[in-house]
Amino acid sequence: MAESALKATNITKYFHDPVTIPVLKNISLDVHKGEFVSIVGKSGCGKSTLLYVLSTMDTDYEGSLDINGTLVTGKSLNALAKIRNASIGFVFQFHYLLPDFTCLKNVMIPALRLGKLSYKEVEEKAYEKLKMFGVEDQALKRADKLSGGQQQRVAIARALINDPAIIMGDEPTGNLDSKNTGIVFDLFQKLSKEFGQTLITVTHDEDFARRSDRIIEMADGEIKSHGK
Amino acid sequence: MKISVNTEIALTYLSARKKQTAVASLGVMFGISMFIFMQSLMKGTNDYFEKMSFNSTPHIRLYSENKVADNHILKGFLKDSSVKMLTNPKQLIQTQGLNNPYGLVKEISKYPRVANVTPQVTAMVIYTSGSVQINGNVAGVDIDQENKMFDVQSNMVAGNLHDLNRVNNGLLIGKGVADKLSLHLGDNITVTSGTGSPTIMRIVGIFATTIKQIDETKSYANIVQAQNLLGKDRSYVTDIKINVKDYNSAPSVAKDLETLTGYKAEDWVQANEQIKAAFKIRAVILNSVIGVLLLVAGFGIYNILNMTIYEKIKEIAILKAQGFSGPSVTSIFLQQALFIGLLGGLIGVSFGYLITLMVSHIYIGAGTLKYLPMSFYTPHYIEAIIFGILTTVAAGFFPARKASKVDPVTIIRG
Ligand SMILES: Nc1ncnc2c1ncn2[C@@H]1O[C@H](COP(=O)(O)OP(=O)(O)O)[C@@H](O)[C@H]1O
Ligand SMILES: [Mg+2]
Repeated sequence: MAESALKATNITKYFHDPVTIPVLKNISLDVHKGEFVSIVGKSGCGKSTLLYVLSTMDTDYEGSLDINGTLVTGKSLNALAKIRNASIGFVFQFHYLLPDFTCLKNVMIPALRLGKLSYKEVEEKAYEKLKMFGVEDQALKRADKLSGGQQQRVAIARALINDPAIIMGDEPTGNLDSKNTGIVFDLFQKLSKEFGQTLITVTHDEDFARRSDRIIEMADGEIKSHGK
Repeated sequence: MKISVNTEIALTYLSARKKQTAVASLGVMFGISMFIFMQSLMKGTNDYFEKMSFNSTPHIRLYSENKVADNHILKGFLKDSSVKMLTNPKQLIQTQGLNNPYGLVKEISKYPRVANVTPQVTAMVIYTSGSVQINGNVAGVDIDQENKMFDVQSNMVAGNLHDLNRVNNGLLIGKGVADKLSLHLGDNITVTSGTGSPTIMRIVGIFATTIKQIDETKSYANIVQAQNLLGKDRSYVTDIKINVKDYNSAPSVAKDLETLTGYKAEDWVQANEQIKAAFKIRAVILNSVIGVLLLVAGFGIYNILNMTIYEKIKEIAILKAQGFSGPSVTSIFLQQALFIGLLGGLIGVSFGYLITLMVSHIYIGAGTLKYLPMSFYTPHYIEAIIFGILTTVAAGFFPARKASKVDPVTIIRG
């Protein structure tokens, strides 16, 4: 069996507002390196909530989470921030760029934070990423001057800048037309096949889901099917 | 230049809100420049008054005090079992002078913290010219030493103070005395003390201080002359005047001298309690004004940061989602505060210097005070910068901490 990239064991999460209800019920899940997984399910079934837990942003859960074979449950917030910076790229449901910065800066910031490359190298790399999504001509515009679709593509480029081992997306193609959805899908597939990066995406796009390696179906806070 | 990504983000946020940044910096600038201006004015004024008082009073004056009882030396050894002997100076005639004054002078001048020592004979007298009489006092001094300690020369308006050593029965009189008795250089004056016989003296100099009361009563004579006026012998000395190297150490030196000699040693702080009180009151006023200014400046910074954080809370969440840790976020916002403080502080320091410089040219023209006394004292500027940075950091601390605690999931989930 292939090496595990992400392993969740018996994850349970409650929301206490207005009454205590379980949103995630005893979820166990294993994604191996280089796998391209889609998570599908009805709206409100807990997909986003699960993704936030898997991304280490949400620490308020029961159960345990291993990333690249290391237990991350119980680590300090600062340690988790480091892990996210170096190993996890996250694409949000809504693009969420920093509006005061140029698109290029938006893409560069996570890499500058990581501090592995020089400023110049980061800049070049960011340009490359923007080029992959066809938004390099927008590089020097302020992020809030772009259309929604363009912003989403910049946001995806940003998630890839540190070559993270795991890329997570919460409906990353939700704002894109079919042509750009195609570009993103092809790229994601290339990342998993050629570069061994792991992809976990929540999607409503049936076609997108079907073409990925595996579909995890969720319903009512539980995993109904782990796919293949 | 390589700047960290935190700094870059901080600067971008600041330049995205130029107006608020400018207003907040202006607040700091105002606080800092006022801090410098007021400190300079206060120190200038205090220094002036101190210098003024040292022109007429020594740092320490040693004299024999008429006391009803003096048991402080015995009490040190015997504690409560000492016997208190009461004498009434009105009944029992005590000698006014100091015992073995020249021995004391010699002893005191050996003291390492002491700079200058001079004996003085003070005589209460009546000046007479024709039929006009006024009260006053003669200070019998060693005029060279006196000049060294109190710069008598700078007050001379006529004559030569060194003539006190050359002219027999010479006298330096205050300008007020001269005016009241309409006397001029070279004229004669009759001086009578309570114990001696009337003596005719020659006016060899006239001086004017800024203090009217001194000018209308005081005169200087040679110490021997003053002893003669009083009908006393050459060992009669009423005061020993002492200047110390650091005038702030005067109270502790005075205490030592009291123990050493058994006489009363009054330091300038005791002698000028009202000046000291005025210093203190001014310091309180000044510090409250500065406090308010810095508070306002700090509030400006607090405000802009709070507003930024309120508006950027989503972006903070994004930064955290991308791996910015709590301390990184704190640093982003503290740096904004620091930058505002630094900008305002630097302009404030230069502006404060400029105001101080301008105000130091304001003409006052009262007594010897020509211009407003302003001090240019480097520590004020350093203090101002330190205070500015402290205010800034304190004002930035709470918003920055709030920002660092933003929970990305709560914000992103919406
Ligand atoms: N902050 C919250 N407090 C209480 N309930 C919440 C909160 N956020 C989400 N929920 C509920 O949790 C469930 C799962 O939400 P979510 O994970 O966003 O679903 P999905 O992404 O699958 O549409 C929903 O029923 C939603 O109403
Ligand atoms: Mg969702």
